Amino acid sequence: MTSVTDRQKLQYIAAQAADARVNVELETEGMTLNLGPQHPATHGTLRIIAQLDGEQVVHAEPVAGYMHRGYEKLTEVRTYPQITTLVNRIDWLGSFANEVPFILAAEQLMEVEAPERAMWIRTILFELSRISNLILFLGDMGVQLGAVTPVFFAFRDREFVLDQIEAATGGRFHPNFDRIGGLKDDLPKGWLESTKGSMDKVREFCDQIEDLLLGSEIFQARTRGIGIVPADVAMQYGLSGANARASGIDWDIRRDNCIGLAYPELDWKVWKHTDGDSFARFWVRIQEVREAAKMVDQLCDGLPAGPVMAKVPRIIKVPAGEAYVATENPLGEMGYYIVSEGELTPFRVKIRSASFSNMSITPWLLRGVYVPDIITILGSLYFILGDIDR
Amino acid sequence: MAGKSGSRVPGTLKGLALTFKTAMQTMFPKRGIKTLIPAPSIGAMTVQYPHEADLPTPRARGVISLKEDNCTSCMLCARECPDWCIYIEGHKTLAPPRRAGGKPRSVNKLDRFDIDYSLCMYCGICVEVCPFEALFWTPEYEYSEARIADLLHDKSRLGEWFQTVPDFQPYESGSEAKVEKVPR
Repeated sequence: MTSVTDRQKLQYIAAQAADARVNVELETEGMTLNLGPQHPATHGTLRIIAQLDGEQVVHAEPVAGYMHRGYEKLTEVRTYPQITTLVNRIDWLGSFANEVPFILAAEQLMEVEAPERAMWIRTILFELSRISNLILFLGDMGVQLGAVTPVFFAFRDREFVLDQIEAATGGRFHPNFDRIGGLKDDLPKGWLESTKGSMDKVREFCDQIEDLLLGSEIFQARTRGIGIVPADVAMQYGLSGANARASGIDWDIRRDNCIGLAYPELDWKVWKHTDGDSFARFWVRIQEVREAAKMVDQLCDGLPAGPVMAKVPRIIKVPAGEAYVATENPLGEMGYYIVSEGELTPFRVKIRSASFSNMSITPWLLRGVYVPDIITILGSLYFILGDIDR
Repeated sequence: MAGKSGSRVPGTLKGLALTFKTAMQTMFPKRGIKTLIPAPSIGAMTVQYPHEADLPTPRARGVISLKEDNCTSCMLCARECPDWCIYIEGHKTLAPPRRAGGKPRSVNKLDRFDIDYSLCMYCGICVEVCPFEALFWTPEYEYSEARIADLLHDKSRLGEWFQTVPDFQPYESGSEAKVEKVPR
């Protein structure tokens, strides 16, 4: 970690030098560059106001909220079964993962527990949504650097995973499959076999992306040593998920604080990287996809028999109380804090989404970088706008 | 520095060669460029849509169909719908008795059952809450319209979709759920 703090110091010095130069050398005229809200290189509608001095960023300010849909307020006027269809739309690339923490928190308040088979199927679908989400990141990172081929491979191979999600739940992007007390339905015949087949495709894709991007010298030159997040800064800004693990923080909710999912029974590894740069964030995610494919194989082999739905009343009223449950979503820690007053609808729901915290580091991180690196750093931080604005 | 830039050129070429090889796999599937007969239709992952349609899985949530005879206009689906896009009207009528000499039965006659697909979120809550097996998903998807008002399907149009409802699939081994039957 010592090398990282040295780099951090250098980055501080560079940023301060950039600031000082604007004040002293009046010849270099400052310029304000607007990235977004409508720009092909931004994901969705995030706007970054970057004040430049020549080619260097002096100050960058993210402006979120162009796609605010008011889900926290909407949940107060929707019943619990209706809310799962809303929260599907928060992180739309890994939507099943959004339902799980909400359902787990509601189950905690109602003191019901899903049967073991439902728990395992939940974990399978959770990992499938992680794979389908991160595959798109792996391809998209190439586009940020001008390599267009990987994104087509990503869209092609993601479809194998989405086909499995659709075959089980009925929806490619918005499964709405999780229920309080279990799952809507059991898996169709032959699903486990074809899922294992699609995991082979995923592993093939990872090898291909590793050939195309990780080994490419252009890719390494554009990402290594750029956008370094030291571990202590990552903690201060509340980074989570692969962004935190790429900075060397050994923390994964799946392993350290797993509630209601089948992770403790699996053989898997939490990958981390000590560099904390854009390359490390990419590398950690590619390993995570491989690890998720390994987990899905184990889950498909050891799926226990039994029912998929516990006994719950037909009209769901959650008893008064508060609960917070967080899970390790594809983008990081996502949690729901539910306050219930015993009504049909929750009294208040606070949604802690990973992207908002991950994005909040950008003013610190973009200070002193060059303009082309803004795009790669934003791309490697990997946020989904629906997850920021909610 | 000279050595570094010298090693950078083969890296670029390596990447280009890999991209070219993968692109050729679509044109010449499986056999590579050894046989010089391109067959992009075999290696391609997409289908030529208007000429051949992709088959969705039987569980796919394409469009909701209505079996009108089973609907009692109990309004459960309309109440549970998250964006209230189901419109139901009905009235009570007397039906002839089941057995000769019995009293005439009072039944609910459905006047109006509309689903506004321009609002529908395809969550499937209505299908799930229906206690009388009147609503079913079908994987059909070809019902786009030029005017948004035409996306309001009335009960006869929803009834037509019922012909396309697939049978429920059998479950994976180890399941305790019972396979339901579509009331045809």
